[in-house]
Amino acid sequence: MSDSEHPDLAAQEQMDEEPELDRGVVEAWAARMISNPDRAYKSAFYVATIFFLVTTLFPFYWLLMVALTPSNDLNQVGVLTPGGFNPGVFVDVFLEYGVPFQRFLFNSFLIAVVSTVLVLFVASLAGYVFGRLQFRGKNVMLLAVLVVSFFPPAAFFVPLNRLFNTNFDVLRPLMADGSLYNTPYAIIIPVSALYLPLSIFILMTFYSQIPDGLEDAARVEGTTRIGALFRVIAPLSAPGVATAGVLTFITVYNEYFFSSLMTSGAAKDWGPMLEGILAFRGQYEVLFNVMGAASIIAVLPVAILVIVAQDKIVSGLTQGGLKE
Amino acid sequence: MSTDTDRTNARLLARPLNWLETRSDAVFAYLLLGPAFLLLAVVAFFPLIQTFRFSLRADAILSADPFGEFIGFEHYVELLTGETLLPQQFLDPSFQTPILQQALFATLAFAILSVLLETAIGFGQALILDQDFRGRRWVRVAIIIPYAIPIVIQAMIFYLMFSTRVGFATEFMQSIGVFGSNPLSTTTDSFLIVLVADVWKTSAFMALLILAGLQSIDRQLYDVAKVTGASPWQRFKYITLPLISGPLLVAMLFRTMDAMRIYGLIDATAGCQTVPSMSCLVVTAFNETRRWASASAVAFLTAVVISVLVLLYLLGLRDSESGLT
Repeated sequence: MSDSEHPDLAAQEQMDEEPELDRGVVEAWAARMISNPDRAYKSAFYVATIFFLVTTLFPFYWLLMVALTPSNDLNQVGVLTPGGFNPGVFVDVFLEYGVPFQRFLFNSFLIAVVSTVLVLFVASLAGYVFGRLQFRGKNVMLLAVLVVSFFPPAAFFVPLNRLFNTNFDVLRPLMADGSLYNTPYAIIIPVSALYLPLSIFILMTFYSQIPDGLEDAARVEGTTRIGALFRVIAPLSAPGVATAGVLTFITVYNEYFFSSLMTSGAAKDWGPMLEGILAFRGQYEVLFNVMGAASIIAVLPVAILVIVAQDKIVSGLTQGGLKE
Repeated sequence: MSTDTDRTNARLLARPLNWLETRSDAVFAYLLLGPAFLLLAVVAFFPLIQTFRFSLRADAILSADPFGEFIGFEHYVELLTGETLLPQQFLDPSFQTPILQQALFATLAFAILSVLLETAIGFGQALILDQDFRGRRWVRVAIIIPYAIPIVIQAMIFYLMFSTRVGFATEFMQSIGVFGSNPLSTTTDSFLIVLVADVWKTSAFMALLILAGLQSIDRQLYDVAKVTGASPWQRFKYITLPLISGPLLVAMLFRTMDAMRIYGLIDATAGCQTVPSMSCLVVTAFNETRRWASASAVAFLTAVVISVLVLLYLLGLRDSESGLT
């Protein structure tokens, strides 16, 4: 702190040295805090930091404790200690209990990856238009995109469910009964649309910052406008594309509403990871430790993504959020 | 042979691209927006209109087509007077239904409490992240990790904590006299559990948005205040707070919209019967009673309530901005 180096303050501090009094620890501490408020603020800062670290991280720690406890000792789980030591549960999740958890994980991954690619492509086109072109009706259309992100998914649910349960003859070669229900598309389509606006806003900001000269140069070299977008503008905005991609992947992987309602919930019907975790909550017995282990396994991909791409997540959320 | 097909493929691709080249800027813009608006139309605009149209029809529980004859706004009247046949009420003006069993109040109470708590806690977290200290990056990761957690896992953690068999939290809450014997099937207790779980996960989002606002404040203002002898509390009150109010309102707007659509957390912990939020009511009406028309009416009312809230925020925002300039 620069204040404590200030000559006046330093002098004051010396003056404040009190004559030796017979004080308890707490009293002495309080006296020090009063005579030197900066120190009080600093220790308050450390206390608050530690408090937030404990409250955010403790639930994960305790989840691990539950997972490590053998099924028979589950009522032994303490606040800080497991009721036994059974690391084998992380393998058993996949092999025992008759729940194909790996398939659920795969379904979730596939849905998240396909949605991310789709969102990035569509949002690139829209972000380019909103960020770099002037045309009539631009603000109205931008507002329409923003409005979508305000509405709850429940407002779209009944008609979408009906639509996806309708059999279309066109789809018959692709889907067994010609309907989209119980296919990954039943989740990919609504979820992509719901998270499209965020990516449009992020990409719009990044694309608008590329100098016109670079695009013109590419055009003179003979690429088309679309070519200039995907060969020049998008690569130059790589951080923005990565931000939009990471955020879309995480939000789709984490999504609950459509993920839980658009399939029957069976692994072969493309039920996503959340159905897998809930499947351990059986009819007669709840496998608490296995649910804990499954949750930890399913959380690892996003946790790693957050650690690797924290700057992108922070910048993307603040940009997407603060755009009015 | 293959080069021939390649060439025809290239020509097939080149033709629309060339055609696109010769269009005016506006036409080009509309064409590129095509995919985005097609997706939004299929998933959002069109279903929203459909939801409204379905909501004006009668419930036909037993027939093949779940929508009966046109009955106008009857479902809305039933929903707003507490006479709907759904498992939970949307709004019961006579208050014979407990207040947290009414979808509108359960959702509003959840949204208001969670947004206030998250703003307060997020502010604290943002003030910490705004400082320069060693290990700041790691503290930031730790604070934002809950935000990136899948809803089902967030729900699982709190479900386990409060389950009577493995959890420690129920015993603790009972010992201080807040919870009954089985909190996950009691409305008030479950409401608190869901609230705490949501605050745990989403405070980080508020923290990030507030942090962005904090970092856009000119640091020289603080230097001037320091020289003139303002205490840290005064600096916070007279510089930080007024300058952050705009971004803060925007952040709260986003959080409110999000809190109003709470569904997954409730579904995976206490269940939709215990804490019926508005989205919960849509799903139970749809899945359990097959009253699709009533479900549509609830869904449309949800959208209306949220639109009203957005408008209120926008008015507040305009005031706070005109107050500054």
